[in-house]
Amino acid sequence: MRTPRWVPWVYAGPAVVVMAVACLYPLLSALQLGFYDWSMGTPWSEAKWVGLDAFLRAFQDPAVWRSLVTTLMFAAVCVVSEMVLGIALALALEGKVRGMAVFRTLFILPMMIAPIAVGLTWRYLFDAQFGLLNALIELFGAAPIGWLAQENTAFIAIIIADIWQWTPFVFIMMIAALANVDSAVLEAARVDGANWWQATFRVKLPMVMNVIAITLLMRLIDAFRVLEVIYILTFGGPGDSTEILSLHIYKTAFVSQRLGGAAAISVLLLVVVASLSWFALRLSNPLKDEGRS
Amino acid sequence: MKRRTLIQTAGGTALGMLGAGLPLVGHTQDRYAKYKGQTVVMSIPAHPHYDAMLKILPEFTRQTGIKVETDRLAMARMKDKQLLEMAKPSGDYDLCCYVVMWKGEYVKKNLIREIEPFLKNQALADPDYDFKDLVRPYVENIGLVGGPRGYLPGPGARLFGLPYGAETSILAYRRDLFEKHGLKPPTTYAEFEKLLPVVREKTGIGALTSRGQAGHQCVHAWLLHLNPMGGGIFDDKWKPHFNDETGVKALNFLKLVSETGPIGIPGFGQGEMITSFLQGQSAMYLDSTLIFGQVNNPQVSKIAGQVSYVLHPKGTVYASQSGGLGLAIPKNAKNPDAAFLLLQWLTSKAQDKAVTKVGGVPSRVSTIGDRDMVLQYPEFITLRQQIEHIDLDWRPIIAEWDEINIQALGVAVSEALTGKKSPQDALNGMIPKVTEIMKRGGYLKG
Repeated sequence: MRTPRWVPWVYAGPAVVVMAVACLYPLLSALQLGFYDWSMGTPWSEAKWVGLDAFLRAFQDPAVWRSLVTTLMFAAVCVVSEMVLGIALALALEGKVRGMAVFRTLFILPMMIAPIAVGLTWRYLFDAQFGLLNALIELFGAAPIGWLAQENTAFIAIIIADIWQWTPFVFIMMIAALANVDSAVLEAARVDGANWWQATFRVKLPMVMNVIAITLLMRLIDAFRVLEVIYILTFGGPGDSTEILSLHIYKTAFVSQRLGGAAAISVLLLVVVASLSWFALRLSNPLKDEGRS
Repeated sequence: MKRRTLIQTAGGTALGMLGAGLPLVGHTQDRYAKYKGQTVVMSIPAHPHYDAMLKILPEFTRQTGIKVETDRLAMARMKDKQLLEMAKPSGDYDLCCYVVMWKGEYVKKNLIREIEPFLKNQALADPDYDFKDLVRPYVENIGLVGGPRGYLPGPGARLFGLPYGAETSILAYRRDLFEKHGLKPPTTYAEFEKLLPVVREKTGIGALTSRGQAGHQCVHAWLLHLNPMGGGIFDDKWKPHFNDETGVKALNFLKLVSETGPIGIPGFGQGEMITSFLQGQSAMYLDSTLIFGQVNNPQVSKIAGQVSYVLHPKGTVYASQSGGLGLAIPKNAKNPDAAFLLLQWLTSKAQDKAVTKVGGVPSRVSTIGDRDMVLQYPEFITLRQQIEHIDLDWRPIIAEWDEINIQALGVAVSEALTGKKSPQDALNGMIPKVTEIMKRGGYLKG
């Protein structure tokens, strides 16, 4: 018996409606907010229509563009490092080695810690006077460093904190993907004379490329949204050297009380993230093959 | 406008009349009976003074039968939550702790109540409250809105909150180290400037600890020096002039503090700044009087019994910080009368002493002058003098200040501290941005 055409809509409809409302409503609200001058704590009826003013102001503000460049640099360094480290760790720990379950659990712990706690922990570790890092380098006779007091070292500090927290996410995704690789294919490669490098880079990793693409996409999106750790670690400083776009949006909304301006910059952030996501999906789109079948 | 003028113009205004306008009856009636069983919800920060308050709060419930719930948040997140709560038709908070910078905004948005009607309500007001005993500059700075420049005492000023956790600045120094090396604490900025490298060289530790993190923290540190040097952010017509000779001089001084201080000052928040002094990494501390309760607490301090205090050094004038925290009753409070009773109880003579005794900061002249209190905190002798030099125009308490403070000056001062720009270039670079903010706020035409 042929399934009527409306049946899939009945099954998928409620979920589609919920998703559409949950995703679209905040997005449309942000867009709407961008056209108004409204301050928190005042009734919406007092909001003033300003048209494209907030968008124009955002695009003309050098601080926004500086912040975007910082964000792109931060995202590029963090995501590339996390992908490389996460995949390397997964490859190293995928085999059946005694006590590996304990290691795997330890590796994913940072991901489970609240970002505020991560920020505070690294703030103490990087502390110029009492931090563990300076204590270690002083053991080797080096002078202590004001990690969070200089632009370059502060930027390195936020990157280290992000890599520490989110490499486990890549690791856990990859270890799951590698576990599902058909051992017969690997066995065939070995029979054909492939060494470890060839088996890994020409067989194993291409077979999990879809998972790599999705993981890359998720990390990319997250890297653009990170806020709490940087808020606690540097608050965007010194100067505005670590002020990534999400922190700039936060300050515009809650410090300057310009919610319209913050919404306009959020739209800019959305465009950037959507473009990068589209590019990442072009590398390997896991849904493309399903659509064809 | 200088402090002396301000005090004179304050005469005959709301504040002057309040002292005389308190009720004369009500001694015997139980003003709490009607509210017994009600719950006052209080928004408070994670802050040493409010930590001390939590120790005395059970006594309020025991005495009055009014319960108290506290919502304790990090200071930086408190304002967002308060704005959301106070904007609702009926909010969750009955009593809110606020930072002085927020007072103008809260009043402008019609979010908090005037205090005077409560103080004049014979059914609520305690006739023994003695309003005039509250430290006057604290009340004027924390509570008054609507006067000259919008935040100073004078014609039009009305009372919207009471000080609870108010503070000024004072210079603390390591008496043991100064005696050992034959040093004298500075009384002027000229002496201060000469002393910093000497202290660094002789003691081997940081000379003066300081805040320096980008944003509010580094601006606070700069203002501590800018005001005594005779500088300011705006002229009388709200035109920014912080990049003048005095502004640059104050920023150069802050750079010297950073260079001769403990390592890492450009990344220091208030916590790191205090810890550096309390853990013996810095020989001097010039900041909030909040330090009093912590210096002799062995759990956080290694320098108990080794610290003395002197006045915030003089530049062209004496001008110590005016700031800190107050308490206000939201417009949409569910239990405003019970909230006032709690506010009145907390700021009463007896409870001001009680909270000070357990590590809080005093809000009353009688507490600062009390014999037992002075025995516990000998620094109150210096504090009494320092209060005379509080500069009520220490920073412009206007709604636009947060943006100027964090997103403009907070970047410029930080860039100068790290050496990315010279102090002159850094300050010059922010004049257009601050001017634009002031135009947007309607203070400047254009």
